[in-house]
Amino acid sequence: MNRELRAGIARPTLLTSQPKPAVRMSSGAVIVIGRIVLIVVFCIAWQYLSDNQLIKPLFFGSPLGILGFLYDGLFVNRSLLPHLLWSVSATLIAFVLGSVSGIGCGLLFAVYPNVGRFFDPFITAFNALPRIALAPLFILWFGLGLVAKIAVGVSLSIVILLSSTVAGARSVDPDLLVLARTLGATPTQVFFRITLPSAIPTIFSGLRLGLIYSLLGVISAEIIGSVNGLGVVLTQSAGMFDTNGVFAVLVILALLGSVLTWGMNILEKRLLRWR
Amino acid sequence: MPLAVTYPRPMQAPSAEDGPIIGVRDISHSFAGGLAVLSHVDLNVARGEFVAIVGPSGCGKTTLLNLMAGLLPVQSGALTVNGRTPVAGNREVAYMLARDALLPWLTARQNAEFGAMIAGQTAEERRERASSLLAKVGLASFEDAYPKALSHGMRQRAALARTFCLQSPILLMDEPFGALDAQTKLQLEETLLGLWQSERRTVVFITHDLSEAIALADRVVVMSGRPGRIVAIIDIPLARPRSIRLLQRDPQFHAIYSNVWETLEQGLSG
Repeated sequence: MNRELRAGIARPTLLTSQPKPAVRMSSGAVIVIGRIVLIVVFCIAWQYLSDNQLIKPLFFGSPLGILGFLYDGLFVNRSLLPHLLWSVSATLIAFVLGSVSGIGCGLLFAVYPNVGRFFDPFITAFNALPRIALAPLFILWFGLGLVAKIAVGVSLSIVILLSSTVAGARSVDPDLLVLARTLGATPTQVFFRITLPSAIPTIFSGLRLGLIYSLLGVISAEIIGSVNGLGVVLTQSAGMFDTNGVFAVLVILALLGSVLTWGMNILEKRLLRWR
Repeated sequence: MPLAVTYPRPMQAPSAEDGPIIGVRDISHSFAGGLAVLSHVDLNVARGEFVAIVGPSGCGKTTLLNLMAGLLPVQSGALTVNGRTPVAGNREVAYMLARDALLPWLTARQNAEFGAMIAGQTAEERRERASSLLAKVGLASFEDAYPKALSHGMRQRAALARTFCLQSPILLMDEPFGALDAQTKLQLEETLLGLWQSERRTVVFITHDLSEAIALADRVVVMSGRPGRIVAIIDIPLARPRSIRLLQRDPQFHAIYSNVWETLEQGLSG
């Protein structure tokens, strides 16, 4: 019996996540239902206040008015669709350009620390600069089209990716480097087998942030001056006291940001299954 | 029970056999800032021998091991491993760290293969070795598990498999079981002895646990506190193959243990 007991202890058990108990499932459902209830109650209250002139509809709009604007813009006259497309494509282009160059520079700095040390004060200064302040300059150089807003988006995302890549590459477990030394790994092997994989989780959180900041840069540039994009719809609606239009754009942006983040999370879960 | 105890100074005459695989001659070492960690250490390790080095923490045992691995430059004295001054990354030595140092993004099998891959073994060769080693350390059904899914002891088992997957004739082990609970530690010691007894490579094993040192080693090297010097080198006359589990109930083991303690106390006070 004693032996059995010991064998029981000795047998290794895999610490996989157990199937979630029934209580958990229902608590998850409760949370989802609770969220929907919150939104519905909030919208009903808003609509009620607006309908009864308790808040000024001119300034605060109303949920039905916002829905109407969205429905028109997306499904009836579809005037919002090209703007949505311009903003989304500018965001994605800015994100890809900023990420590729940011990660590239970050890895360069990680491999050649002296290069990183040389550029460090410039990057710090650039990072401290409110990048939106560059938008007028970019508009002057690149015009009111796609390029200027991409430039603003890149100016934000590149630094985020650069610093998260450098931080990730620095976070390598020193034990792994000792191991690599004792194994006689070449610098190339250390970089591709140890430094880069170690940096990837941190790079991913940089990517998630970089995507949101690309959107921020693009929309800001559109607000400052552009011929198309959701930022343009926003300023035009506000200028015409079309508060429902403003809220409609905000709703689209919030949903867009959520969808982008959600997509990144899925990608991250797929690529970083080991975490 | 008579114990063969040799004190390092006056030094033993070099054996006429085929020479030590590791030769440490009058090694002293200090860290930047002048902190002396090792003082006049002499030690020969014979081919196929299992030597355990015990001593209080901070006594320089890990420094001595790192010197043998070529991770630190020799400052004073001479040190040869297989006839040469060791350089980090040479293929003669496999080094096992106190923490498992598994790559978290690789599965147990990929981790077990990692050292062999860096050492340039072919894919089939290292896969076969890694699989059979994982089976020997009891991880056969966990080949595809990532380290986060493994317990502490299982991770160190995978590290053991990685170390033995290298075909180096010398294994340097830096307190590999120091952080494990008593039960898991005994199991891993058993696993280590099982692996070692089938290949008989040279092992230098650092530990702060005297009972672990006696159970595993042919000779136990006892070091003083900082700056570390060798206080005694004690032959362990326990027969091989040994079973750690049976040793726990073996009166000879306990007799040796208490004798070594006595020797130690004399050595440390003398």
